[in-house]
Amino acid sequence: MSISPNEVPFAGTVPSPKTENEGMITGSWRTRRPILDTDKCTECLICWISCPDSSIKSTTAGMEFNLKYCKGCGICNEVCPVGAISLVPELDFED
Amino acid sequence: MVSSNKLFEEPGLKQITVWARGVYENKEARDVVVALTEAAAKEGKYVQAWENYVDLPDRIYVPVRAYGKISDQPIESKYVYENETPDIVVLTEETLVKGIDILEGIRPGAVLVVNTKRPAEYLFKFITKGTENLKSIITVDASSLAKSIITLSGAEGATDASGIGKGLGAPLAAAVVKATGIVTFENLLSIIANKQAAKTAYDKAQVVEVKRLVNAG
Repeated sequence: MSISPNEVPFAGTVPSPKTENEGMITGSWRTRRPILDTDKCTECLICWISCPDSSIKSTTAGMEFNLKYCKGCGICNEVCPVGAISLVPELDFED
Repeated sequence: MVSSNKLFEEPGLKQITVWARGVYENKEARDVVVALTEAAAKEGKYVQAWENYVDLPDRIYVPVRAYGKISDQPIESKYVYENETPDIVVLTEETLVKGIDILEGIRPGAVLVVNTKRPAEYLFKFITKGTENLKSIITVDASSLAKSIITLSGAEGATDASGIGKGLGAPLAAAVVKATGIVTFENLLSIIANKQAAKTAYDKAQVVEVKRLVNAG
């Protein structure tokens, strides 16, 4: 909320190839957190390509959420064909 | 830069800051301050209610703020466009306690009103800054009493066709009145549309002293 205007990138854009922008941390927008059921997940990458904030990464350990930027929009939950992603109220987590 | 709270000595001034989630609770934040200030105006107070321009245009879920000022003297700081030292902080949604400095600059004896089903003890764990000036936390389950109304009517100073206090704003304003007595409950009821929700919230709101929470650890 209270960062200096100089630190805010013009029109919220980030120079390529950066994937994170310290001036636009949006994790505090989230009211529901996406939780992955790894048993159900087939790693089809539909959530990865659908995430508007590019907050889902495909790693060797499976899909991972970047909660620093995840706004909790719930699109991943909506598009998952096997129902592996559920949305849990953010305040259920103490971290 | 001189802070504007040192520029104006206004002992009678009470500042209300309402935090909400962008777009879907925007009207509710506005309703809380408009209802409280309109009720105070009925009592002959000097009032102001507006939204934070820095937060606008809002996007879905982005934290936005609405402000109110109530004073028994003419408001000198009327062109200061943010409440720097709030006396009353209201959250229209419980998750706002997490990761946002909601209590920034609060004056001693300030109160926090939260729309939540959870106990104040649990919410208090998430509030990391500014609790030394906080007097009490008021929890009210406003979402079970009223629904959030998503409309552009009433935005940017236009007439609100849906009515002041039609949604969540009514129970939250009632909880503020219960906690602070900043206006009389009768005057508040005469302003807001959803009177039943306000009455239930006035009865059911839980007031928890922060001193007790600190002692309990």
